[in-house]
Amino acid sequence: MTIMAKSKPTILNTLIPYVAAILIALAAVGVFIALMGFDVLKAYYTILFTSFRTPNGFIQTLLKFIPLVLQAYAFTVPLAAGKFNIGGEGQLIVGAIGAAAVGILLPDLPPLLLIPLVLLGGIVAGALWGFIPGWLLYKFNINEILTTVLLNFVSFALINYVATGPWRDPAAGHPTTIPIGRGGYLPLLVDNPPLHAGIIIALLVAVAVYFYTTRSTAGYELVATGANPRAAGVFGINVKYMFVLSIVIAGGIGGLSGAIEVSGVQHRLIEGLQHNFLVLGLIIGLIAKGNNMAVPFVAFFIAVLEVGASAMQRTLMIPVEMVFIVEALVLLFVLLSDVVRRK
Amino acid sequence: MADTPILVMKGIRKTFDKSVALDDVSFELNAREIHGLLGGNGAGKTTLMNILYGLYKKDSGEISLHEKKINISSPRDALHKHIGMVHQHFLQITSFTVLENIVLGTEIHNKYSMDLSVEATKIQALQNRFNLAVDLNISIGDLPMGTRQKVEILKALYRGAEILILDEPTTNLTPQEVDDLFKSLRVMVDQDLSIVFITHKLREVLSVCDRISVLRNGRNVVTLKRDEANEEAFVRGMVGDEMDIQNSVIFSRGKSGQIGAEHIRAEVCLHLDQVQLASQGSVPRLKDISFKLRHGEILGIAGVAGNGQRDLAEVILGITLPTGGKVELDAKDILAMPTNQRLESGIAYIPEDRLLDGFLPKASVAHNLILGFHRKAPYSSGGFINWNTVHRTAAELIKTYNIKTSGPSDVGGNLSGGNIQRVLIARAFSKPANLLVAHNPTRGLDIPSMDFVYSRILEEKKKGLATLLISEDLDELLLLCDRIAVLYRGELVGTLDRSKFEKYEIGRMMSGYRAEE
Repeated sequence: MTIMAKSKPTILNTLIPYVAAILIALAAVGVFIALMGFDVLKAYYTILFTSFRTPNGFIQTLLKFIPLVLQAYAFTVPLAAGKFNIGGEGQLIVGAIGAAAVGILLPDLPPLLLIPLVLLGGIVAGALWGFIPGWLLYKFNINEILTTVLLNFVSFALINYVATGPWRDPAAGHPTTIPIGRGGYLPLLVDNPPLHAGIIIALLVAVAVYFYTTRSTAGYELVATGANPRAAGVFGINVKYMFVLSIVIAGGIGGLSGAIEVSGVQHRLIEGLQHNFLVLGLIIGLIAKGNNMAVPFVAFFIAVLEVGASAMQRTLMIPVEMVFIVEALVLLFVLLSDVVRRK
Repeated sequence: MADTPILVMKGIRKTFDKSVALDDVSFELNAREIHGLLGGNGAGKTTLMNILYGLYKKDSGEISLHEKKINISSPRDALHKHIGMVHQHFLQITSFTVLENIVLGTEIHNKYSMDLSVEATKIQALQNRFNLAVDLNISIGDLPMGTRQKVEILKALYRGAEILILDEPTTNLTPQEVDDLFKSLRVMVDQDLSIVFITHKLREVLSVCDRISVLRNGRNVVTLKRDEANEEAFVRGMVGDEMDIQNSVIFSRGKSGQIGAEHIRAEVCLHLDQVQLASQGSVPRLKDISFKLRHGEILGIAGVAGNGQRDLAEVILGITLPTGGKVELDAKDILAMPTNQRLESGIAYIPEDRLLDGFLPKASVAHNLILGFHRKAPYSSGGFINWNTVHRTAAELIKTYNIKTSGPSDVGGNLSGGNIQRVLIARAFSKPANLLVAHNPTRGLDIPSMDFVYSRILEEKKKGLATLLISEDLDELLLLCDRIAVLYRGELVGTLDRSKFEKYEIGRMMSGYRAEE
């Protein structure tokens, strides 16, 4: 049989379905905004350009970007090995608890020591939280989707317990702990509006994940495992170990996102600090189709939409949910473009 | 009348995506003839016949039957026009009886009581007419492959086939069963059937066919009567002009008898002693397997597929752990060694199921070419992969092994079956090894590529490579091996030296008779 050379995928070719998906999604939502009697063009303008009009908007976007990109990696790293981690939320919460615990127990340490310890507390706690489904998968072959989702619910109870326990802040009306030591606060890169150093950590993680999955031997084994676990096993890769490792790494990244929320944003543990980062992280990972190179860009785009959505609600009174619909539709159309291309 | 064709296919063209599988191919079938359709893998034989059987739609060309133009839309339609096909892999329900398998999917006379006596009588008539004796009331899972094949032929005949297409019918048959099949085919053409016999084995067409058509790269090469042609013409037709037949392993080695015995060294490379592999059921997967394989030796494992070949390979690689016995590599016990260390200590492996066990479809060709060696220099150092080295080596391997791909970064899933097999072979030979475990290494390759693999194995043999060649292709084993052992239901029933190679003796052992020591 003769094989013809396939046309090489260029960057332009890859981008076309994305741009098309965004345009179609915006158009679809525009119809609803118009039907509800709002000014469509103004809404578009607010959604897309709030992030770039003022320094405040841009910094808001970067702050949104940090947890989103980390949550997306907590999903895509195990995905490279063919495993689905839906437990980023629980890993974030438990990571936040770990970070807060370190910060509350050692309040007098200088920043040079306390910041790394707080972050490490979050990473270790999150990794342990990821190790539980990993171990259940390794030992008893229990589906990781199930266990990671269920552990999210356990983490809700756990944060409630910690935030209403002995560390409770009696002055707060919402389950909240007392603040961590001052030395545990992430330094600010920009004072007004405040931008904390978490952005640097997030970018470092992005670079590390990229090098890990594409350059390292362990990353090679991760990719091989995801590509065909049976063949990887036949050629000497300990596939089950790779499964566990991938979820533990994801747990560490998820835990780090929780630690940054504590040390950079809240400076204490607050119930509900996870927002809807998990769902957005999944959407980012899926729109990027698991490609770790693409994750930061997609995460930034979603952060822009999120910031635009709040602004739209504030200034135009259009409900933020409109933007959730845009995000969901972008994902659907990107996935659909695969099906269309195959035909 | 005898020479007027009953079936004519003219100018058939078929493309899959962008690759051309058939290009302006013509084919004629006379009444009462056995017409051999010969060609290497990827020549388009099966594609052509799948079009005739309605499984594929042709892009262009025409088919006429009894001088009337016809259009075949589905296998049902083909059977309606009395064209039947027996595929290489049977679709049978193993827990059903022979009778139930034959009538499955046809109109049944006593639909509600499932009393099949009317059908049984009809089938018996067919059996008598075509001399195809099979007990109708046995479940099909208990029968040997040769008999299951007869059932498959009966299935086609029961559905009214007058033109019968057999796709590689001798795969998995012992030599005795092959002889039997050929006798049946003769009876069938005497009883007014016409048969298309698809094969890549020259000897088979020469011994049973009346006329032979050769295809290569999706084109007609030549059609000749059996008695008009010599072997040479067919060989040329199959392999093309580029191949050096005189120096090829396939066409020259058999003639000079013992080649390579002098390379066998005294040191034992692989030693299996009383290896057992129990299964959950009552029949063990491997039982008392003992053999020694020396450096520079090629030991063949013959047997009908599914008699424990895969388990044997996986026990040696450490993918499956035996429940008893010893496995030694170069006089070192390797039972406790995990697979990756065994690969690092010099075992190369070509697995049988290339898609399931040997290939990463979602990763790049370069990823695939280093699988198993990815932790070792020069591919990796200090925990990082040296992608520059990997890509350079991959590009060289792609060239040497004639892998058709756009380059090392091409996604594995874009490769065709034969090219995937080339990747597996390139990988196995890319590093110096002490032991090669090769399971059906040439499946899906065309003849020049097969020959290349054989010559590589023989070259490495000279350098002291021990090869365990597990194959269902007996001709391949007879060609290359110094010794052949036969595996039957997880047991080695005997081992023959090259001087005592005899096809029928091996065939008897493949059906379970022990060799007389």
